[in-house]
Amino acid sequence: MQTSNEAVLTFDNVAKSFGGVHAVAGLSFSAVAGETLAILGPSGCGKTTTLRLIAGFEEPDIGTIAIGRESMIGKRPYERNVGLLFQHYALFPHMSVRENVAYGLKYRKWPKAEISSRVDEMLRLVQLEDFGGRRPQQLSGGQQQRVALARVLATKPKLVLLDEPLSALDAKLREELGAELKRILTEVGSTTIVVTHDQDEAMSLADRIIVMNRGGIDQQGSPSEIYSRPATRFVATFIGRSNWIGGTLKLNHSGGFANVVMESGTVLTTGNPGLGDEVAVKVGIRPERIAIVGTQEDDRMSGANQFPAMVVNAISMGAENHYHVICSAGTLMVVEPGGRGMSFSRGDRVKIGFRAEDCVLFPSRDAA
Amino acid sequence: MTGRRADDLIRFTCKAMNCLIILFLLTPIAVTTLMAFDARDYLGPLPPPALSLRWFSAFFSDSYFLNGLITSVKLACLSVTISLFAGVATAYAVDRARFRGKEALVSFFLSPLVVPPVVTGFALLLFLSKIGVIDGFARLLCGHIIITVPYTIRATLASISGIDKSYTEAALILGANERHAFWDITLPLARTGIVSGAIFAFAVSMDDVAVSIMLTDAKTYTLPIALISSMRANFNLSIAAASVMLMAMTILLIVLLEKLVGLNRAIGQGTFR
Repeated sequence: MQTSNEAVLTFDNVAKSFGGVHAVAGLSFSAVAGETLAILGPSGCGKTTTLRLIAGFEEPDIGTIAIGRESMIGKRPYERNVGLLFQHYALFPHMSVRENVAYGLKYRKWPKAEISSRVDEMLRLVQLEDFGGRRPQQLSGGQQQRVALARVLATKPKLVLLDEPLSALDAKLREELGAELKRILTEVGSTTIVVTHDQDEAMSLADRIIVMNRGGIDQQGSPSEIYSRPATRFVATFIGRSNWIGGTLKLNHSGGFANVVMESGTVLTTGNPGLGDEVAVKVGIRPERIAIVGTQEDDRMSGANQFPAMVVNAISMGAENHYHVICSAGTLMVVEPGGRGMSFSRGDRVKIGFRAEDCVLFPSRDAA
Repeated sequence: MTGRRADDLIRFTCKAMNCLIILFLLTPIAVTTLMAFDARDYLGPLPPPALSLRWFSAFFSDSYFLNGLITSVKLACLSVTISLFAGVATAYAVDRARFRGKEALVSFFLSPLVVPPVVTGFALLLFLSKIGVIDGFARLLCGHIIITVPYTIRATLASISGIDKSYTEAALILGANERHAFWDITLPLARTGIVSGAIFAFAVSMDDVAVSIMLTDAKTYTLPIALISSMRANFNLSIAAASVMLMAMTILLIVLLEKLVGLNRAIGQGTFR
């Protein structure tokens, strides 16, 4: 794995529109050598355009894109030394697995013998040594993906792009191949950009995530940063689950905390987000950050916000237990680790609590 | 109950209609085939008392027919080759282009299918004599390119536009330039469409009368034209023999097409008129 902090990919104020509609605007970010960067966002957020701009299938209207120190403006895809793993792999159906993997090397004018040994090496890397003579159609989805990856990595690209790499696979395979993909990418030490709408895919593969929304960047950071400290209401809603509680912010100048007064008069204690007094806000709280205990053991409860509640719905999801509880703060979803049966059932009186630090606040006018 | 009986009646009528249509289509062909093998040297009542290949040998010993056959084959090969290049180039360009009126342009390329062939032939005859092209073969070649090119464009366009764009993009990002990607990816993947277009174009060229009849001269004429004029002059059964051979060729082409593409797919792509 490379450790230098040299930028392999740099976007500087890039904009691209199609027929007057902005796909991306004012986009600036960089990827450093050896890292896996995920570009995450819903469909229409501009992530696919970003990918196509990096690959050279589209040219930016304004701004610059550089790979290493070299500007990519005006460079055709075949002049960029970028590898792209297509969402549906795009393995050439009329060529064997070997011919597919060798394809890029042929146009890099490698000698025949070296191509052959490189193809062997790549097929070994993806553990498909015995499949060289097959046609792509004769392979399973997971095998096809590994062939496509071998084809991408064979030419030693400076930058590897993965377009929704796990989305075409079924749920069981997804986890297994995600881990396999991570292993291979780490082994070759490539700088990788994963473009995806699937947060699990981004979280499991990436060292760093860029969350895109409406053609721009809402937040960049490590997966845990983005999950626990979302920068915008959009990020907080898009990544993971949240309970949202509406109210009015009342600043109190003691200890950096604030109060949010709900319409019902219930008061929540939250962190101080740096918003003005009397601003209408939405308070977000992750369901797994809410503790739930029986009424007789409420002395175990800590945290600034504690409410008596009643369970209105209890669902076992196997690994997790989901509760919907009603309390003076509204109906909230609570998640606790499962596997040892349900602690509560419908109609139980309980107590819930969460810490001020676990609340995130955004002005109500911000779009979710 | 009555509803069910009505349904049965409709179903029976449909079946009967089908049988009638098949009979209507096949009977003349069956009669012609039978007559081609008739051993008598006059047109007698069916069935013929004895069979022979005499009309086939009469056909091949007639230099008038042979001349037409050779011209037809030469013409078909040459016009299909030219149409194929034009068709592939057009289809590739149309598929890549993004502009308004693209649909209209495609319809324009296919217009020879809608313009009556007699009109095409007559217009071409006037135009070519105006610009001084009087050679029979050159005139026929022009006519046959016009009638065959819609078939090659249509079949090629259908298969080229059916190719997932990510194949070409994959080739480009792996280091192939646009030309390489065309030869390595587009052409092989469009092969079935190109071949079926060529086969249809060949059959159309071999079979054409309406355009050719306008453009023939005394020395250069196609087989269908030779058959028609000899039928007027002195009717004999070598025409039936020629028909049987044309049919055999068509069947051969259909079998070939079926083997290469699957006829249903070729028709499904709208290659037939």
